[in-house]
Amino acid sequence: MSLGVDALLRAEGRFALGHGRLPLGRLIGIVLLGGFTYGAAMGCFGLRPLQALYSGLKVPLLIATATALCLPMFFVLNTLLGLRDDFGAALRGVLSAQATVAVMLAACAPLVLLAYATSSDYVFGMRANGGLFLLAALAGQRTLERHYEPLVRRDPLHARVKRAWLVLYVFVAIQAAWVLRPFVGDPNYEPTFLREDLWSNAYVVILRDVLGLWRR
Amino acid sequence: MRFLNTIDELLRGRLTSAADLRRGTIEIPVRTLALAGLVLGAVYGLCMGLYAPLRAENASVLQVLATTAKVPLLFLLTLVVTYPSLYVVSALFDSRLRHGATLRLLLAAMTANLALLASLGPVTAFFTLCTESYSFMIVLNVAFFAVAGLVGLGFLRKALDAVFEPEEEMAAPPPSVEYSEPADPDESARTSGLEAAHFPSRLSRLRRPARPAARRVFTFWTLVYGVVGAQMGWVLRPFIGSPELPFVLFRADRESNVFSAFFRSLAHLFT
Repeated sequence: MSLGVDALLRAEGRFALGHGRLPLGRLIGIVLLGGFTYGAAMGCFGLRPLQALYSGLKVPLLIATATALCLPMFFVLNTLLGLRDDFGAALRGVLSAQATVAVMLAACAPLVLLAYATSSDYVFGMRANGGLFLLAALAGQRTLERHYEPLVRRDPLHARVKRAWLVLYVFVAIQAAWVLRPFVGDPNYEPTFLREDLWSNAYVVILRDVLGLWRR
Repeated sequence: MRFLNTIDELLRGRLTSAADLRRGTIEIPVRTLALAGLVLGAVYGLCMGLYAPLRAENASVLQVLATTAKVPLLFLLTLVVTYPSLYVVSALFDSRLRHGATLRLLLAAMTANLALLASLGPVTAFFTLCTESYSFMIVLNVAFFAVAGLVGLGFLRKALDAVFEPEEEMAAPPPSVEYSEPADPDESARTSGLEAAHFPSRLSRLRRPARPAARRVFTFWTLVYGVVGAQMGWVLRPFIGSPELPFVLFRADRESNVFSAFFRSLAHLFT
């Protein structure tokens, strides 16, 4: 709690809405700790410590990569739409949302362990993780909405920037997750940090699968 | 540092303030802005061209250099080719901007467009590293060019609204920011007083009917710039570089055009 997780979730204290000094160190700390906690639990499928360590390292990396790749667009779009004066508050919202995702993921770590304990089915394990990631994303969205509410009230253009951020972030995060896979780790394969064919495109694979089904 | 400051000032809209545009003047450091356009275009070109050296067959580093040069060139040449007609049409509609100011406004819109494109560069580079599919890279780049183009058009539209603002509106006092109590209390929910107290300038702007001259000039500019830009892109291709073909600076079939190629592809799809 020394990182101020409660204050983050309630948007109070140093994580309060609006402008002010960004508690970057704490936000990074929360993402690292929360992401590692969930990742380690996620990699426990098949009780392989090495995979748990790898997944623990990769979840914060996933959040950081997707955020870093989308921030330039976020900055330029805010500036172009004349919202630069509010950029500090908007950035607080976006980064607090990332930290909230990490907190929610950490809170879901026992759930994923329970899912693994109740079923040894790999596909079920992946689906359970997918559902929990979705839940964490919704929690992050709640924080983002809370930070953006006064901004949108002041200028409705903020809503457009928020939508643009969400679209690009989801688009990039899906691909980043694909590159950083495996997270759960198929027990039929050796634990590995990254797959050999890591540089492939999630969307192309999905599209080919869908077209393959269509042509059958 | 001055270079970055100029881009920042431009994106914040301080170089194209409504007051200046109404007077028909734009004080923009043209040389710095042109340089900014070149650098921003080159940044995106670098990210876009990365696909060529990473592909399995016909890998080419030269394509990176070519695309880095071609992206800013695409925008600059399109501006050079379209500027005379754009200026003539705006003058026909009694634009307050003289030829120099018109050029500066177009340069500013182009730089804003390129700034957003450059900011999407890291995403393009990331997907380039992850993608073998040439078609996916084409779709992604076209989508990013389209998004950046739309934002550039928004910048231009806002500026043209100020340029073509009628004299009577310029003389009228600005809308009141104060909340005024409506005469009939029952009417309060339907009046704009409360809303105006929250965000008066934006609401008044949204309710203002689009100026016909501004709209016509904007439509013409968009059409001409879009058509010429598309054809210029076709002439300067390849930008990404097909993995099935060796590196060439320009494709040999100079007689074709982007529109006939598009309709041929469309027909191909259904046969």
